[in-house]
Amino acid sequence: MNTIVCVKQVPDPEIPPAKFKIDPETKKVIPPAGVPPVISVYDERAVEAACRLKDKHKGKITVISMGSGKASDVIKHTISMGADEGFLLEDQAFENLDSFGTAYVLAKAIQKIGGYDLVLCGRQAADWGAGQVGSILAEILGIPVVTLACDIQAADKKFRVKRTVKDGFEVLEAPMPSLVTVSSEIGLPRLPGGVGLMLARKKQIPVWKAQDIGAEASQLDKANAHTEITGLSVPTRKTECEMVTGGTPGEAGVNLAEKISKLI
Amino acid sequence: MASREVFWNIPYGYVIYVLAAIALTFWAFGFYRRYQLWHLGKPDDSSKNIGKRIPVFIRTTLVDVLAHRRFLRDPYPGMMHLIIFWGFIILLLASAVDAVTHYIIGHIIGTPYLWFKLIVNIGGLLALAGIIMAAYRRYVSKPKRLNTLLDDGIGMALIAAMLITGFMVEGLRQAATELTLHPDWAVWSAGGFLVAKAFADMSQSSLLFWHWSLWWFHSVLALAAIIYSGLVFSKLQHVVVSPLNIFFRSLGPVGSPAPIDIENAETLGAATIKDFTWKHLLDLDACTNCGRCQDACPAWATGKPLSPRKVVQDLKVHMLKAANNQANQSDSAPTLVGEAPSEAEIWACTTCAACQETCPVYVEHIVKIIDLRRNLVLAQSKMPETAQLMLRNMQSRGHPWAGVQSLRLRGDWTSGLELKILAEGDSANTLFWVGCTGALVERNVAATLSMTRVLKAAGVDFAVLGEVETCCGDPARRAGYEFQFQVMAEQNIEIFKNHQIKEIITSCPHCYHTIKNEYPRYGGDFKVVHYTQLIADLISQGRLKLASKLNSILTYHDPCYLGRYNGVYLEPRRVLEAISKPRLEEMGRSRNTSFCCGGGGGHMWIEEQPGTTKINQMRMEDILKTGAETVVTACPYCLQMFEESIEHKQMKDSLKARDLVEVVEAAMKQS
Repeated sequence: MNTIVCVKQVPDPEIPPAKFKIDPETKKVIPPAGVPPVISVYDERAVEAACRLKDKHKGKITVISMGSGKASDVIKHTISMGADEGFLLEDQAFENLDSFGTAYVLAKAIQKIGGYDLVLCGRQAADWGAGQVGSILAEILGIPVVTLACDIQAADKKFRVKRTVKDGFEVLEAPMPSLVTVSSEIGLPRLPGGVGLMLARKKQIPVWKAQDIGAEASQLDKANAHTEITGLSVPTRKTECEMVTGGTPGEAGVNLAEKISKLI
Repeated sequence: MASREVFWNIPYGYVIYVLAAIALTFWAFGFYRRYQLWHLGKPDDSSKNIGKRIPVFIRTTLVDVLAHRRFLRDPYPGMMHLIIFWGFIILLLASAVDAVTHYIIGHIIGTPYLWFKLIVNIGGLLALAGIIMAAYRRYVSKPKRLNTLLDDGIGMALIAAMLITGFMVEGLRQAATELTLHPDWAVWSAGGFLVAKAFADMSQSSLLFWHWSLWWFHSVLALAAIIYSGLVFSKLQHVVVSPLNIFFRSLGPVGSPAPIDIENAETLGAATIKDFTWKHLLDLDACTNCGRCQDACPAWATGKPLSPRKVVQDLKVHMLKAANNQANQSDSAPTLVGEAPSEAEIWACTTCAACQETCPVYVEHIVKIIDLRRNLVLAQSKMPETAQLMLRNMQSRGHPWAGVQSLRLRGDWTSGLELKILAEGDSANTLFWVGCTGALVERNVAATLSMTRVLKAAGVDFAVLGEVETCCGDPARRAGYEFQFQVMAEQNIEIFKNHQIKEIITSCPHCYHTIKNEYPRYGGDFKVVHYTQLIADLISQGRLKLASKLNSILTYHDPCYLGRYNGVYLEPRRVLEAISKPRLEEMGRSRNTSFCCGGGGGHMWIEEQPGTTKINQMRMEDILKTGAETVVTACPYCLQMFEESIEHKQMKDSLKARDLVEVVEAAMKQS
């Protein structure tokens, strides 16, 4: 079974929000220097999902990432986890694309790779959190999409996908090929083993430019973007602490429950 | 002239040499089979450097074998072993003297003979007293650490029988000869004399017959003991294997596993017993199951499943199974982890080295445990979730502190300090290596800032790496994630070389040990000092002046990686003593018997398994017993562990935890 996983590099989510700066001119986020970007957490779980399927059914995992040169570290990380191959989509024309533009570039790369049974994405990116690319990508590729997966099983040329919903989960069936976006409920990603780390060290990550994947300039034109950033600000966080008391621990518990019930 | 006839009443006595040769052949055969067992293991560096080993062996023999240094830390069993040991050394030498002199001069004569008798008798009595102590301890008082097997009883019975029949033989000979002819000679044989007195009424012919019978019984018993220990590989065999193990003991740094050759490694860590080196298998046979390590182990003391004694004994069972399989032509050795030792045992170790420090025969537990972890982590991806989180952080962020604990970025602590922060192309002679904990965790950053102020006050010219500094790799290595360690070691060495660093000051003992003792294997040879050593020097050179107004009772906790791993016990105490007012109260367990804080071996991040209590809380009891108002340590992990247990005990007002450098700064300010 051949799987293609789309991953994104994001600023380390561990960075405290106050450390970010915003450039008002370009409307860009400037993360603090010296903290290397990491793989988006949900995307790493998508890689884990792919590795679990590979453990069971063999096949090949190809990882693609659109981003700058440092994103090749993120791809190497997925190779150390168990991916077989990775491509970095890097071009000036790819910078500042919105979800539609990103999905277009990814779709072009996926079409170039071809021969896939499954495309996996994280449920959303850990930085912008739009959660759009997966669905748009499926639309462009013309394949079904199942979002928020917490378990993926493959049998008889079909996928059985367990999907988290508000009050539990539902199980859907999808044909091959399909696109699935993976949620964190799938479980912790594996720690790269010795062999994986060894392979990743030596692996060359080819870079594909717009012309390599046949991406048309018109599609990447900013004028065609569906979204526009009008403002950007660092959220201010306020914490207030209130001690809930009661005559007995039981009473305190009741008072706490009342407080919480008013908040939800 | 006082003397006696060797082989008196024993016609054809020389037959004993023939029998002895037979017994030794059996023994040698048994030993050879065991030697083959050790060679199930992989090659080991221990067989090299024999020339370097000899002086070390002589020194260790003097201190730990002849003087019983390690044994005597535990007085009852220490004394017990000491008197059995010296008793038998005397008896062995005496037999040798008998045998040799017999063919030259007959036997010693005159006053020397009388002294000889007395000394030999004292030897026998000492050994007998020791055996009685041992039997009482093992079968009556039964301390928890003893795990009694049939072999223990057989060995003890054999020795006791040999000693008793020895005295009988001597007594019967005296009853038949010296007692009537030279009673003044007989009294010199304290033990034999008592027997002689008891049998004084026996007829001469009976005396001769019983003497003859018991002489042969005694001799055959000794040979039987030799055959038994050789073929069964009894505990008695330790008289040969333990010195052998001491001879081949690791001369390298404490608890440092061998590097894994990333490109060519066939197996990662120890999956089966055959993945250990032969020296580690020799360790298993050198272990006498005495349980000293178990008593010293902080994990065991706090109710965790780990006993270092049991790990070694379990591995020994595996070695025998593997040998058995090999003999049955099935080449497979059973997988180690699972049945025994369990994963829970392997992850409970804090690598504090208390077990290794106490082991009289120099068994190395830590490297074995790390090798088992390596296989779990690298080959099987099995580890506690908290270990995985830590290792993932090491991999993606270059340090183990992530998540809620750390709200700082690497270089934050440097802001506003006007430090020399090395940029690309800069060079410096001396680097202050801060360490992840000292750079990222609020409480420890306070100590780091203290450190920079003390260094500046003493006029030490140093630079820091600031945000470029990463982890030294220690937590990854102890948790078995060797590749990550190697990547970090290589990276750091390159950074040091790029900045032409010659000397590195570390504040964390874990960084200190890693950079000083483990980086050289990766091409990094730097002069590494721990700040306690540096400050002690600065004080003695008069570059640091300390006031004497610090009124406080202090106790000092020896960090494992500074003390047991590197033998730095004196310098921190010298520093504390230089501050004259405070009183230094030592804990019951200090210096090389210091009890771990619970934070080593990756356990700063790996969650402590449920037990009867937490390790840091048990150590807090030791601290409280001293009546100290301040517990001083020189390790960021220990500091955090103590802060946590002070919080837990709600004792913030009566007890403070301080890094040594903070105490030094406080003493400086008042001058």
